[in-house]
Amino acid sequence: MTSLRRALWALAGAGVLLGLADLALILNSDLVDTPGAWAAGALVAGWGFIGVGLYAWGRRPDNRVGMLMAATGFAWLIAAAGFSDLPVVFTFGQLFGAFFFAVVMHMLLAFPSGRLQSLAERRLVAGAYLLTTAGVLPLWLFADPAQLDCADCPENVILVDANESLVSTLATILNTVGALLIGAVLVVLVQRWRRASPAQRRFLVPVYSAGVAVLLLLIVLVALQVGGLNPKALDVIWVISMVPFALVPYLFLATLVRARMIQSGAVGELMARLGETPQRGELRDALAHALSDPSLELVYWLPQDERFVDAKGHVVTLPGQGSGRAVTRVERDGGCVAAIVHDALVHDQQGGDVDAIGAAASLALENERLEAELRSKVEELRASRQRMLSIGLEERRRLERDLHDGAQQRLVSMALNMRLARGRLRDDPAAAEAMLDGAGDELESALEELRELARGIHPAVLTDRGLDTALETLARRAPVPVELGRVPSERLPEAVELAAYFVVAEALTNVAKYASASHAKVDVQRVNGRFVVQVADDGVGGADPAAGTGLRGLADRLAVIEGRLEIDSQPGNGTTITAKIPCE
Amino acid sequence: MATSVLIVDDHPSFRASARMLLECEGFDVIGEAEDGMSGLEAVARLQPDVVLLDVQLPDINGFEVAARLTENGNSPAIVLTSSRDVEDLGFLAGRDGVRGFIPKSELSGSALEALL
Repeated sequence: MTSLRRALWALAGAGVLLGLADLALILNSDLVDTPGAWAAGALVAGWGFIGVGLYAWGRRPDNRVGMLMAATGFAWLIAAAGFSDLPVVFTFGQLFGAFFFAVVMHMLLAFPSGRLQSLAERRLVAGAYLLTTAGVLPLWLFADPAQLDCADCPENVILVDANESLVSTLATILNTVGALLIGAVLVVLVQRWRRASPAQRRFLVPVYSAGVAVLLLLIVLVALQVGGLNPKALDVIWVISMVPFALVPYLFLATLVRARMIQSGAVGELMARLGETPQRGELRDALAHALSDPSLELVYWLPQDERFVDAKGHVVTLPGQGSGRAVTRVERDGGCVAAIVHDALVHDQQGGDVDAIGAAASLALENERLEAELRSKVEELRASRQRMLSIGLEERRRLERDLHDGAQQRLVSMALNMRLARGRLRDDPAAAEAMLDGAGDELESALEELRELARGIHPAVLTDRGLDTALETLARRAPVPVELGRVPSERLPEAVELAAYFVVAEALTNVAKYASASHAKVDVQRVNGRFVVQVADDGVGGADPAAGTGLRGLADRLAVIEGRLEIDSQPGNGTTITAKIPCE
Repeated sequence: MATSVLIVDDHPSFRASARMLLECEGFDVIGEAEDGMSGLEAVARLQPDVVLLDVQLPDINGFEVAARLTENGNSPAIVLTSSRDVEDLGFLAGRDGVRGFIPKSELSGSALEALL
């Protein structure tokens, strides 16, 4: 038995003993006209709250509703001390007789998540606790029961000075503040009800309706007390208000049992439905039905891309804390398959059931996951094909511009210089010679520009000599010192070599252009059947792949051969670009 | 009096070569401009007889410059030039007040003279 269970059983025992003490106390009291009815009322409500509270506490130790419910039961049983004929017990009962109001308010506000949700709610609850303890104390320093139409009451042991008018003023103040607090709690509950989804309301109905009834009756009671109504009539209303109060734990229990029953039926039905092959969308509907949460969504895990997608393959961001949505991951064979995104309140109430239902559906979810993965791939390929197309067009435009502005202009001015030189050849041979020299230089530059362009289109050295030599030339040409790690010397498929080459070329170009680095390192390795190309620099970092076309173009080039590009570029920490290319 | 010429082209190497070539053959190159807008401004300021106008300019292209020059009549003679093929652009001569087209590599004083 766990220590929690032992503690809960001990509390249950304490609850039983306290109830029995109440029973003896009420049955022997001179203050009660109908001791049987009062004793029954005390026990039905007190044991109800304690029993259901401890049961819920044991079932969901992380949810405080159970604990608060049990506390309500104890506070209620303690209040019966006010019926005692013994002065000390009587005084104690009067002092703490109203404490259970505060616990009830706390429980209603914390229901069903177990947490108070705002500072205002915490203040309300703190106010209620303060009012029912420190607030009551001054009243009983001046209240003499004999003066308060209670001739049979024992004496007040903490009486300092009997003062009827002061007591009546204090009582009016306490009652008014109490009524305001109850009103505020009612407002909060109504607001919460209005915001709740249908699935949430299912859980709220029984407890909220009983709680609201109690609070309304208490307000009436307080108002009548302030108005100075006949104590007999007050007693009647008091007894009436106890009916919904005593019902709260039983209604809560009924909610739990009903949810369990619906659940077990739904799980059975779900298993039966999963036996047949569900069509697209049917699995979601089946799970939504099983958990009675129409807002339920399914998202699927793509391990390769390390992200979730929906059934259509679109990338999904999971809801965060405080969004009112909860995420339950479904695992199969040790790996994440999918996640169920559902109402956070449903999760609060039946977290274990969501897990069980997810596990039951994991095979079907795995099938849908594969389908979603396929869709995501198709989607990604379509987008990357589109980008490749526009990158191709852009590259052609750039080539035309480079040719026009570079080599072509140099050749044009060379042709003009040649013509000029020919005209001067006889009259001014020295000038003609200088012009021919100029033409020769232009020709050199034009050739170099053409070579550079050709390399950008396809690096001939890669085809002729392989990746290691090609990367060596890239490293040697780079303006920043480049340390080249060992490069596998075997030949790989051309597309793989070309992708690796362009990754290094683009990365080194970026290092030279933007990184302000003093050093770069190129590493190429085969890891688990993947070709991993890494270029790291010690520059300023902060590279944004979305900003330029270069990195995105690389990612697309890689996507075509099922490769992936990862960029790690924290500002101030250099940039590391890693390409992973499958090559089996 | 020598025919005055304004050269509008964004490549300095071509402007320098063209200036030398034309001056050798007796033209008076009175100015150069590196894009369309400064070309328009230079025409207004210098009132050249001929504008040697590159088709591809960084801001507005040569045809647009020609159209704006001929808008209010009284424009200088406009000769387009380009490193593109004469067959791509030559047929456009005659439109927008353009006298003719000379491929850049074939530029010479006599070729220019022939179009005036």
